[in-house]
Amino acid sequence: MNKQQGFSLPRGWGYASLASLIFISTWAWAVRTENSLGISDFFTGWVLFFVIALLALFGARKRLPFLPLGPASRWLKIHVVGGFMAVFMFWLHTGEVWPSSFYGQLLTVLFYAISISGLIGLLMETVFPSQLTHTKMEVIYERIPKELAEIRNEVEALVEECTKKNASSVLAEHYLETLRWYFQRPRFFMSNIYGSEKPQHWVHQQCMILERFLNEKECKYLDKVYLLAEKKRKIDFHYALQKMLKTWLLIHIPLAGAVMVMVFWHLMVIQVFFV
Amino acid sequence: MEENKFGKDQSQYERPNHPYRCGRAILWQTPCTRGPATGGACGGTRECTPFLKNDRWECRRDKRFGGPCEEGPRPNGECCIQRPACTPHSSLRIIRGRVTLLVLLAVIALIVGSLGLDSHFNGLVSISDAGPLSKSHIKFTEKQGCNACHQVNDQGISGWVKAVFRPSNLSDKCVTCHSFGGDSSVAHNNNMLTDKKVSKTQCVMCHREHSGTSKVTRTLSSKQCNSCHKNKFESFENGHPEFSQKYPYFSRDTIKYDHSSHLNKHFSNPKFSDKAPESCVACHTITLSDREIKPGNYETICANCHNNQINKKELIVIRLPELLQNRIDSSKLIEACNFPETKMEVEEEFLSVSTEQPALVSAFLLNFSEEDPESYGKPLQDLIMSMAEESTTSFAELIDNQTPTPISENLLAGLNPEVMKRAACAWGLNREYESPADPKYGGWYADMLEIRYKPAGHADSVAKSWIEFALAVATEKNVNGSESRAVAMREQILSVKDGVGGCIKCHAIMELKDTKGDSYLTVDWNYKNEKKQPYVKYKHENHVNMMGESSCSSCHVLNKDEGYMASFKEYDSTNWVNNFKSINKKTCMQCHSEDEINMECQACHIYHLKPGFKKNMLAIKAEPIPITP
Repeated sequence: MNKQQGFSLPRGWGYASLASLIFISTWAWAVRTENSLGISDFFTGWVLFFVIALLALFGARKRLPFLPLGPASRWLKIHVVGGFMAVFMFWLHTGEVWPSSFYGQLLTVLFYAISISGLIGLLMETVFPSQLTHTKMEVIYERIPKELAEIRNEVEALVEECTKKNASSVLAEHYLETLRWYFQRPRFFMSNIYGSEKPQHWVHQQCMILERFLNEKECKYLDKVYLLAEKKRKIDFHYALQKMLKTWLLIHIPLAGAVMVMVFWHLMVIQVFFV
Repeated sequence: MEENKFGKDQSQYERPNHPYRCGRAILWQTPCTRGPATGGACGGTRECTPFLKNDRWECRRDKRFGGPCEEGPRPNGECCIQRPACTPHSSLRIIRGRVTLLVLLAVIALIVGSLGLDSHFNGLVSISDAGPLSKSHIKFTEKQGCNACHQVNDQGISGWVKAVFRPSNLSDKCVTCHSFGGDSSVAHNNNMLTDKKVSKTQCVMCHREHSGTSKVTRTLSSKQCNSCHKNKFESFENGHPEFSQKYPYFSRDTIKYDHSSHLNKHFSNPKFSDKAPESCVACHTITLSDREIKPGNYETICANCHNNQINKKELIVIRLPELLQNRIDSSKLIEACNFPETKMEVEEEFLSVSTEQPALVSAFLLNFSEEDPESYGKPLQDLIMSMAEESTTSFAELIDNQTPTPISENLLAGLNPEVMKRAACAWGLNREYESPADPKYGGWYADMLEIRYKPAGHADSVAKSWIEFALAVATEKNVNGSESRAVAMREQILSVKDGVGGCIKCHAIMELKDTKGDSYLTVDWNYKNEKKQPYVKYKHENHVNMMGESSCSSCHVLNKDEGYMASFKEYDSTNWVNNFKSINKKTCMQCHSEDEINMECQACHIYHLKPGFKKNMLAIKAEPIPITP
């Protein structure tokens, strides 16, 4: 796997230092402005607006891959560092954690929600890829249904062959009663996300429990079925983690749109009523 | 790992931005190789699209999916592998786009909807409401709402668009209700640097709204003060300038009250000790007091000891002096006084009934020397004669001649004309006048050889008028040389021991300048309120409540120097000695220091000059009460 992919925190120190410098400078300027009987909210507000705009540009960058705007990994680092900076800049701008107006509360809820979803996304982007690498298997998310169907067909062919050659229906009956459910579609979604060993134990138990009822030839078929079940378990793991990596954006991006609308509304209200 | 699994010959290129996904894959069945069409139709009903070449149909299945099939196309050119059509589903990317659009529309709808509903729900769902106002503003904006401060609020969309390009000055709205002692757009409402151009100030520089009812709009800090003030310092303890030399006693008292002699001498005297106050607050009311602590009124704190001294000090305006010869026309006197003929006894040699000197008041009014009988004999006997004929008229005329406006009415208020006439008649006969009754309750009366005024009590208007008259005439440019007599009269009336009512024992006289620059003397009858430092505040009540009633002397230390009363002998009020020692910075620093009590500038200083409210704010419009039949 290419080492440039994913988010590597140590490599983001440069951006983090720059963001810290910008934040501290803004803070110092705000304090100075307030002490000089000025209104620092304007300055901090515009800085926050530009930070949010920079964060939103990451989405645009992903939609314009043909433009020479630098690698996406760099943009991701800037996005993550900028996201943290935006939270602190938000507190500096508002001067409080929770506003008292309905309008302020709505904007704050949206901002906190996008920040929390971003943080969860960052955690997943940091943890999940390495966990997927540990499976020593690569699966394209869109091809998982095909992969599962192939495994299922393979297992069913094995079971059928075993039944015909050994004139015994033990394996087939067990498949129909238990293993068929497992091979139908991805299972143990939450267990896979939490990194639980429940799927592994389940597969092991369901295969081993049958071993004493089978003869030597049937056991060879069972071993093959077990190997396919293990492969399917890894695909399930890929499915669960990759689905999370894709669907958290289903929350993050709509919230980003809502925040941007509210930010523009806020700018307009300030411009109309205050400036 | 399966290295070649994703090779170009082994697998097709997955397009994550494809809007549809195979319906079979959604149901976890084997997805078709071709996938859904761009328009959303199923693309997997057949494995390939056979190609007609040399009148033969050839299978065109991609080798990634197994290459040409064994069976080949049907004779009619259809693919031999046919499947029922699936229902492709939208891809995650498309779903995300739809959800995003839905959320955007929801937020926009919320903004538009709340703008429309704002007035119906009293701002409860207002998308433009920046938050509740402070406690002091929330009530009076209840009816007008945002319009109370933001005019643009009800100007519609066009007004809002115009407002974006037009600077709004909220401070203009603030001063529709708030008033100050000077220009509201100048620092401290007072341009102290008239020779320099100073930048304008705005209310929002210090005051912020929409922070909720629990917060105040004032946020001024010491650092903000330092941003403008040239003399910058860290805190009250570190760097604040020392108080001025006479702080906080900037002018001489208008009431002469020697705290030192009262506390150390009179109150410890067994004769008065039962009347002595227990502490400072017995005379000085601290309840609801700010910087200035007014003493109680005369009746409350002085009368107990001093009331019986006032009516003992009388004013003598006319006294029958020793006369060398009788110049009175006896026939005229008999006629004026309506005496019987027999009353007149012819004396061989005139021997004056009086051996006294004339009163200084009459000496001034008639402009004669009180020590020279030759000088005062005729004018005084003429006055007596006119008093016998016209009573007070001639005497009043003499008074009115001394001032630009007639004031005899005030000076002789309550004088019974008959008393003056009867006294003049007796004196015309060279006899003493016998008063029919003692003036128990004060007022004008004639007794023996004198016309006297006995003050009725504190704040006697006649006594005050005579003092003011004496002060006024003594500074007049007297053309007929009576200046020295005016001064002599003034000194007698203002005498602490003998002056009328003894007023000047307590009320200080000061010399002031009029508009022309001429100096004149005046008496400040009332306690003078100190207002020379409008930017300083001090709550006596808070301090005394915290430190106890006996704590006054911690700051106000008696000045035992006897110069206090002596300084009142001079009329120059700028040269004086205070009854208490000045308060210096160290006195305050006993408590207001690091780690103890607040040392912020705002603890002792007020930013605004005479902050108040305009009249329209105070007008309360009463709601008409409906009358039911």
